[in-house]
Amino acid sequence: MTAQSAPPAYIARMSAQLSSLSGASSHRIRPKHPALAWIGLAAIGALPLAACGGDGGQSEGAASDTITVYTCVSDETIQPIISDFRDKNPGTEVDLFRAPTGELNARVAADKRSGGLRADVIWACDPLTMQAYVDQGLVGGWVPDDASGIPADYRTDDYVGAHILYMVAVSHDGSKAPKSWDDLTDPGEKVAVPDPSFAASALGALGYFADSPDYGVQFYDELKHNGAVQVSSPDDVTVGVAQGVYDAGITIATSAYKAQQDGSPVQVAWPEPGAIAIYGPVALVKNSADEKAAKNFVGYVVSKEGQTTVAESGAYPTMEGIDGPTVPEGAPVVLPDWKSIGQQKDRLLSEYQSIFGG
Amino acid sequence: MRRAPSTVVVQRGVFTIVISLVVVLVAFPIARLAQTVWAETDGDLSWILGSAGLVTAVRNTLLLAAVVTVVAVPSGALLALALRRADVPGRGFFRVAVLLPILVPDFVLAYSWTQAYGPAGFTDSMTGLGWDGVRGPVGVAVVVAVNAVPLAYLVTAVGLASRAEPDLERAARVSGAGAWTALRTVTVPLLRPALAAAGVLVFVLTLGTFAIPQVMGAPAGFTTVTTRIYANLSLGGDSASFVEAVTLALLLVVLAGSVVVPADALLGPRLRVRRQAVAEGSVTASAGRAPGRWIAAGLGCYLLATVGLPLLALVAAAVTRAVGLPPAPSNWTTDNFREVMTARTFEALTRSLWLAVTAASLLTLLGACVAVLERRRSGRPLSSMVTLTLVLPGSTLAVALLISYGRWLANTLAIILLAYLAKLWAFAHRPVSGALDRLPPDEVQAARASGASALTAVRTVALRPLLPALMAAWFICFLTALHEVTMSSLLYGPGSETLAVVVLNSQELGGIGPTAALSVLLTLLLAVPAALFWVLLRVVRVPETDPSPEVVPHVA
Repeated sequence: MTAQSAPPAYIARMSAQLSSLSGASSHRIRPKHPALAWIGLAAIGALPLAACGGDGGQSEGAASDTITVYTCVSDETIQPIISDFRDKNPGTEVDLFRAPTGELNARVAADKRSGGLRADVIWACDPLTMQAYVDQGLVGGWVPDDASGIPADYRTDDYVGAHILYMVAVSHDGSKAPKSWDDLTDPGEKVAVPDPSFAASALGALGYFADSPDYGVQFYDELKHNGAVQVSSPDDVTVGVAQGVYDAGITIATSAYKAQQDGSPVQVAWPEPGAIAIYGPVALVKNSADEKAAKNFVGYVVSKEGQTTVAESGAYPTMEGIDGPTVPEGAPVVLPDWKSIGQQKDRLLSEYQSIFGG
Repeated sequence: MRRAPSTVVVQRGVFTIVISLVVVLVAFPIARLAQTVWAETDGDLSWILGSAGLVTAVRNTLLLAAVVTVVAVPSGALLALALRRADVPGRGFFRVAVLLPILVPDFVLAYSWTQAYGPAGFTDSMTGLGWDGVRGPVGVAVVVAVNAVPLAYLVTAVGLASRAEPDLERAARVSGAGAWTALRTVTVPLLRPALAAAGVLVFVLTLGTFAIPQVMGAPAGFTTVTTRIYANLSLGGDSASFVEAVTLALLLVVLAGSVVVPADALLGPRLRVRRQAVAEGSVTASAGRAPGRWIAAGLGCYLLATVGLPLLALVAAAVTRAVGLPPAPSNWTTDNFREVMTARTFEALTRSLWLAVTAASLLTLLGACVAVLERRRSGRPLSSMVTLTLVLPGSTLAVALLISYGRWLANTLAIILLAYLAKLWAFAHRPVSGALDRLPPDEVQAARASGASALTAVRTVALRPLLPALMAAWFICFLTALHEVTMSSLLYGPGSETLAVVVLNSQELGGIGPTAALSVLLTLLLAVPAALFWVLLRVVRVPETDPSPEVVPHVA
């Protein structure tokens, strides 16, 4: 076998194939056995196709009205929305790609670098992400005419808020429910905060506190001083508080109420000056292949019907006057300034990380 | 050496196909990532590589990988040596139980450990012994190591199965060597290729591990390169963050490469021993003084701590109505199981099973090809090359494949399959490589000269002693592919949702009850094939020349 060992000719062949794959032409390097190399490549090309057999072929032509929605909204909300939309728009099919924000961003970035977004509508979970898509010229430029049902705080000229995440305080039964966010810094309370470099909702909270003259980043410093612990996601906060590992924490209202309804020993509070509202915007993708159907979908999501479906699925709608999940009577709500968060993201995070590490 | 021309053509063909696949699955995707970074930064990486905290993250990553390798590989080897002894009661059970951690997705494993040992966890509420450090660097290292031990065990075990020379060991003992000396001078040297293979795998795997540091490291502010990559992906969605994520992923490739390439170049050829193709079985009777039942007791304790309690915590989470409630019968529910067992799940499970079987079968073939080809001088870089994609976190590998082939393959099962092949190629290659000695060409030629066809010669002479390794490679690829989360949740499209996408993704990786239920179901579902695998392994194992323990007391 060793007697056969070829000189490292395959390296030349490799680079030849590499350049032919990447579309660049190369005349300098000639594969020694071009025929073999191409047979090999053909075999590789055929392999996954053959392997896919009956399962493939789901991407039928764009002739029918089929739109693709990219979202990070949970299945519990997006599935009813899609089926309701289908009922009301027979003939329009909706394909769904749903992933957590990190994976969604990765997918969008990869799409952008391989022939363009393969979506017609994006429904994100925070304005920061959506604004970045707008800035890259991927989405926006259009919102439905009747989006005025959505409060002006939750829309721009490029996207409209379709659901809201409220950052609230969750506390273990028996611990004091905070009346104001300040109460979390009381000595003796072991508090959990979600990691703002992992979850955009946590970054929204960080941005709000940092901007607020009454709090500032030193709010986190005081929390840490009293033994606060950073955990990965808002859900981890809920789990930790429910188990009594922490006395209280900052988490998402839906997650806290869900635990409470299931029977976990937790209480939920909307502390002064208010629960921090993070809205999830929906936007039209530029150069959508089926713009009409895509516009229909966006319009539906922020219409009264769509917002009612959002509310019934257990998420908070952006439209006022729609019965949604629990909001305590007169509960205060505050809004982070996303523009400023977008500009100072790195500084905010590094200040935060100098307190909590990481 | 003269060969029939047909053999040469076949060899060249195989070589060309494997090289092309390395280009398609490894070189081109990584090159595309590099090209992206280059094009979008104009080559100025100082703002990324000089960013605050990166040095700490790199140090944490390297330290973690080193510690985990140093702990997991000897542990795995010890397990393999212990389970080789015929006098250990319940050996069959242990052999399957040792592998259980592979059945559980990473982040579920992390969760189950915090539930078993953390404050307000199992041990805490039962005995008051909670371990605060479980949410911190030490906890991360322990759980990553526990996750890596089965891999190290499997690689060493198949190394033992195909390389052990019980006769040599007995000869050493008869000549007066103690058990320790025999182990040190005979068994371990024979095992070196397997140990090296396990070491490389565990090291690279740990460099790229993400879920465990993210879930368990956050409370201590413990960051790794992978957690920084994810932070960049999840925050912002702007080009700069994306480019930073990709650059960090390439940094991981460089880190892995700078360890693996020299290791392969220096160690690879030297560790191989020329020996006969016929291995002589893997069973030795009592080699040391400790009676088998003591070993069994030790194993039992180890498994109880690393597998039993965490799995129990998982079952408790799966059957409990809400987190924070004691797992008492009044709080039991089947809701979590019902939530997981839907028609969609079943469909996705079928698809995932199919994907995992296809991926594992192709990978075993590809792994074996590389293991053979790396013996040729021109094929040597192959083994290092296919290890480079293992270090890429799932998210960035998926991005690399999308950028490379998304135009044609986006939203298909094919691209998910490609991702599995790229990610797990080293998983399939290293166990085979660690078990394979220089193929004895004279024996294959003897078979050929006696009239066997090329295929028959390979099948009967070369393949048979390799069978345990090939099966282990298949098995580990199958299990890993079956519950793979990150890559499929980034690559799937309509009609190609995998099990993880349908069940775990819809939970935002947070709804721990249903996730735990799924893991429990998966464990049960796989316990059956696992048992089957073990039975098969018994059947195909090379005939034991001397399994009777009665002979050995002369020695002991």
